[in-house]
Amino acid sequence: MTQPKSLPHGGFEPDVVIVGSGAAGGMAAYALTRAGIKTLVLEAGRDYDPVSESAMLKWNHEAPLRAISTPDKQFGYYDATAGGGWEVPGEPYVNAPGTTFRWWRSRMLGGRTNHWGRHVPRFGPYDFKGKSRDGFGADWPISYEDVAPYYDRTEKLIGVSGANSGLENHPDSSPGVLQPPSKPRVSELMIQAAAADLGIPCVPSHYAILTRAIEHRHAPRQACFYATPCGRGCAIGAAFQTTTSLLPMALGTGKLRIVTNAMVSRVVTDARGRAKGVEYFDRTTGSTHFTAARVVVLAASACESAKILFNSHTAQSPQGLANSSGQIGRSLMDSTGTDIFGHIPALEGRPRYNEDGKDNAHLYIPFWLYKEQAAGKLDFPRAYHYEIGGRFEMPGARFGLAGAEDGYGLSLKQDARRYYGAQVSFSVRGEMVPNADSYCELDPDAKDKYGLPVLRFHWKWSDHEYRQIAHGVKTAKQIIERMGGRVLTPEMPPEQAIQSGGEIIHEVGTTRMGSSAADSVTDGFGKTWDIDNLVIVDGGVFPSNAHKNPTLTIMALAWRSMDHLASRMRKGEI
Amino acid sequence: MTEISRRVTLAWIAAASASAFAAGPSKAAQNGSPSPWNDAAVPPITVPGYGHDPDLKAAAVPWPLTLNPHQRAILRLAADLMLPADARSPSGGSLPLDAFLDEWISAPYPQQQQDRALIVPGLAWLDEEAGRRLGLDFVSASDAQRRAVFDTVAFRDKVLPGYEQPAQFFARLRGLMLAGFYTLPEGIADIGYLGNTPLSGDYPGPTPEAMANLNASLIKLGLKPFSPG
Repeated sequence: MTQPKSLPHGGFEPDVVIVGSGAAGGMAAYALTRAGIKTLVLEAGRDYDPVSESAMLKWNHEAPLRAISTPDKQFGYYDATAGGGWEVPGEPYVNAPGTTFRWWRSRMLGGRTNHWGRHVPRFGPYDFKGKSRDGFGADWPISYEDVAPYYDRTEKLIGVSGANSGLENHPDSSPGVLQPPSKPRVSELMIQAAAADLGIPCVPSHYAILTRAIEHRHAPRQACFYATPCGRGCAIGAAFQTTTSLLPMALGTGKLRIVTNAMVSRVVTDARGRAKGVEYFDRTTGSTHFTAARVVVLAASACESAKILFNSHTAQSPQGLANSSGQIGRSLMDSTGTDIFGHIPALEGRPRYNEDGKDNAHLYIPFWLYKEQAAGKLDFPRAYHYEIGGRFEMPGARFGLAGAEDGYGLSLKQDARRYYGAQVSFSVRGEMVPNADSYCELDPDAKDKYGLPVLRFHWKWSDHEYRQIAHGVKTAKQIIERMGGRVLTPEMPPEQAIQSGGEIIHEVGTTRMGSSAADSVTDGFGKTWDIDNLVIVDGGVFPSNAHKNPTLTIMALAWRSMDHLASRMRKGEI
Repeated sequence: MTEISRRVTLAWIAAASASAFAAGPSKAAQNGSPSPWNDAAVPPITVPGYGHDPDLKAAAVPWPLTLNPHQRAILRLAADLMLPADARSPSGGSLPLDAFLDEWISAPYPQQQQDRALIVPGLAWLDEEAGRRLGLDFVSASDAQRRAVFDTVAFRDKVLPGYEQPAQFFARLRGLMLAGFYTLPEGIADIGYLGNTPLSGDYPGPTPEAMANLNASLIKLGLKPFSPG
């Protein structure tokens, strides 16, 4: 990144202050500056520049411990995440007794967009109206048709490669929006063939990874060169992250200032109860600052924004700002997740070629049983998909022989050659139904290093999720067996197979939107019902969490909400 | 992603150890009692790690190495036995696997500390067992004599009663040596990994040879092959 300023941001008087510079904050800054609005972005983490910092083309043996994950770098040495992870020093969170919830945070410009998976399926019409369909959870106050134009615009802007599938509830992008997909690898084709035999689709994934360059005066981005895992951050801009796209584009308008190491503690309100700005700590010195703005936009991530609102409580709103509905912190959702692995003898010793390609599988398995689900033939209400894997990957510290390691000597070398590239994986990603036992609140005792109360999480999966996981495990095993493979994942009940809450890093729902101030925090444009000039644009606004990875929808909604805000500001409504 | 690889491997390790120890005692020890396993005195590592925000492009190992020259010599000989030279790659002992093992078990992180508590006593056990059998330490023994020590613990279905803990050490040593070996340029060339090379133009996908091989497999499985090209 080029221009982040050290504290304070003297002289610049913003119309809007945005808290956060990740997917939501980056898009909000892009949309507002484009509309000519003076905008200040406050980012809690340090400045970060993937062009100069990311470990492009580095080998694992060049890093400590062959780059394996450690408590210091929890997704491996080369992962882009700086100063963050499942724990952030000095900024703890608490789990209520009996709860295991994990909260991944980053403390860097661009937030989690620097290392995310970049799998960007669209939500479909059913995903906005789940309650109408099956009676569970809450409908969105908006429909697929409201968001569809913003999906097209967002995909075009951020650059999405893939192909339309034409499948039920997996909407196609408009013509000319998608960049070309990449050719599938051998193991993906084998999965596709086996799945087809079982009546299961396996289609090109949509990735926010460029297969064609994007020209831009302030943010030129190259097409993928098919090397280096995207999670390291992408120095050539092929893998989308706000630090090489939306933020420099917004800076290029001259309307944006960015301040890093600015940890927002609370939204400050005036005597009439309107937002007048935010208070923040300089993370490097601990000193406190205030910045005034006509509008405050929260884009700090679902749980961080909920925490800010809790900590912004006043005499008039002792339970937290914009919380007259009592919904802040409630309806916390993640995606369900579990992984199933198989060893496929038919893939042993196959001809070598470069299988790096784009970072993840070029194909995936979208949910295919909507009709059966609607007809009551399944024992779980919400959908899931599989992200698949299997290839000749760069050997790392976990290099192994699928549990077949035995003996020593030349036979061990021969086994290593035979087993390499012969494993496949199926990662289930499913929709969770929100429940009353999964939420966050302020812990009554624990404080962070700034002396602020921290979040306490409560979490429970229900039978809806367990039955969905059981179905996902069973079906993945069928596909592995259809390939003549051996399932490597030990047999276990779904209660054990399911990953912990938060682990898929799709946490949403804590400031949900709705059609009534009585049971939601914001309207369909992220504007809080209680405070006219306070808008939320991160995943907190999701009333439900489709199995489809949330980031594309976060960005499309942020753009839509900011267009709406800009129009209100132009009309003088704020 | 890295996390997926971690989970893959954990599942494999679980599967491997389940089968490794399911076999139970096979036959009585033929050479008297095994040498005792002594893990009493492995001092833990307390130095700092590389921190949450290290320089990714100038990676360095900040912690001191802790193995002595004799332990490193055992590792080099063990690596020669584990992964001997053949036409496709040199032997493990001729590559810096001893340095990798030293870096690994000297690191201050929990997984590496757990391995340290297995590897350091394991290296001592190799000496003890060689001494009990031959009156020599592992380094001074002949190649055949070292193999005899390896053979007591290296094969999952043939681990003799009383050798369970050394067998666990051996399995971990093998895992670490495989990882150390196949992440080095010589191992990468051996295994045939052809990536980490920037390409221009579209990703080319499978070669005709790879597609032909896939289609032959699909036909054998009764699945529909793909049209070539």
